[in-house]
Amino acid sequence: MTVMKQFVIIWILFWGAAGTAYAHKVTIFAWVEGDTVFTESKFSGGKKVQNAPVEIFDMNGRKLLEGKTDKQGAFSFRYPQKTGMKVLLHAGMGHQAEWVIPVEEFQGNGFSDKENTSAVGAKPSAGNGLGKEQLPESAENASVSPCLNADNIRDLIDNTMDKKLKPIIRDLSLLRNPDHEATFRDIMGGIGYILGLIGIGAYFNYRKKRKE
Amino acid sequence: MHISEGVLSGPVLLTGGVLAAAGTAIGLKKIDYDRVAQVGMLAAAFFVASLIHVNIGPSSAHLILNGIVGLLLGWAAFPAILVALTLQAILFQFGGITTLGVNTVNMALPAVICYYLFSPFLQKKDAIAITASFAAGFFAVLFSAVLLGIALIFTEENFWEVSSLVVIGNFPIMIIEGIVTAFCVGFLKKVHPEILPGLKQ
Repeated sequence: MTVMKQFVIIWILFWGAAGTAYAHKVTIFAWVEGDTVFTESKFSGGKKVQNAPVEIFDMNGRKLLEGKTDKQGAFSFRYPQKTGMKVLLHAGMGHQAEWVIPVEEFQGNGFSDKENTSAVGAKPSAGNGLGKEQLPESAENASVSPCLNADNIRDLIDNTMDKKLKPIIRDLSLLRNPDHEATFRDIMGGIGYILGLIGIGAYFNYRKKRKE
Repeated sequence: MHISEGVLSGPVLLTGGVLAAAGTAIGLKKIDYDRVAQVGMLAAAFFVASLIHVNIGPSSAHLILNGIVGLLLGWAAFPAILVALTLQAILFQFGGITTLGVNTVNMALPAVICYYLFSPFLQKKDAIAITASFAAGFFAVLFSAVLLGIALIFTEENFWEVSSLVVIGNFPIMIIEGIVTAFCVGFLKKVHPEILPGLKQ
C-alpha cells in the first residue's frame, strides 16, 4: 500500500508535466547547400543555442575553422575544401554536440558543379573552333534567344533547384540524425525497465526469505 | 546538468566511474530489500523529472529531484540514480555512457550529503520538517552545480565561471525543487510518516 500510494503521488506529479516534456540535451546539425555549409544548434526543448563556439574539423581531426552561433542558433560558412567534416558545438557547462558531414554530401554541390559547367561550356567553344558547320546552328539559337546559352540555362536550373530543394535538403539532413527527441515510447520504456528491475529485486528478496 | 560525451578527459571519467562504483556498492549494501520497490519508484521519478524543462536564463535547465531521492533513500540514491541515468543516456541521449560515472556522482553525492544534513529534521514538527526538506531540494541542486564545476576544472573551462553560470542557470530549479521536495515530504508526513527516515520503530 505504501508503495502504491507513493507511486500514485509520483505519477500525478509527473504526468501533468509530461505533455510538455522534452529531452534535455544539445544538438547541432549541418547540411551542405551550394558552396556553403549551414548549421543549426538547439537545446532539446527548442531553445536555440546562442553565441556558442562551433569548431569544424576534417576527418583526420585537423581543425579547419571555427565560429560562433548567432541568435537563431545558426552558423554557416563557405567550406574551404571538399572533405568529410566533423562539426563540434560547445554549448558550455559540459554540453557538447557533434555532427558529421560525410564527403558524399559535398558531391554535386558548389565547386564541382561549377567545374562541370565550365568543362561542358568549354566543349562547344572548342567545337566552334574546329568545325564551322556548327556555327550557323548556334547563331540561329542565339538569334532566337540571345541571352540563353547552355551555361546560362544550367546556372538558372541550378539556382532554382537550390532554392526549391533548400527545405528538402535540410529535412533530409535532419532525418539522418541518429538522435531524436524523447518520445512517449522512450519514457514508458524507461519506466518499464525500472519496474522490471524492481521485480527482479523483489524476486530475489522473496527467494532469500523463503530459504530462511 | 548532464555532462555530454567527449567533454571530459580520461582521468576525470575514470575517477567519476570509480567513485560512482563505490557509492553504488555502499548503496546496494545498505538497501533494505523490503523497500526495493521504493528505490525503484524514486528512480522512475528521477528518470522522468529531467524531461521537465524550465527555460529560464541563457541555458536550458530541467528538474533533477536528487534532493527528495536522497532524503528518502540515503545511500540507496546511488544505485537508483545510476539506473535512471543509464536509461536517460540510452533512451534520451542525455549525457552519455562514458560520462555515466561522473554524472552519477554529480547528482547522487549531493543527494547523500543532503540525507545526512537534513533527514534528522524530518520527524520533527511540521514547520521544521518542511523547511528542512525545502533546504534539501535546494542544496542538492546547488551541490550538484558545484560538483559539475569541479568536474569541468580539468577541461579548458574556468571553475568559478562555470560554477557560477550553472548555479545561476539552475537557480529557478533550486527554488522549484525545494518547493516540490517540501510538498512531497509534507504530504508523506501526513499520509505515510513511516516512509521518512529517522522514525524509531
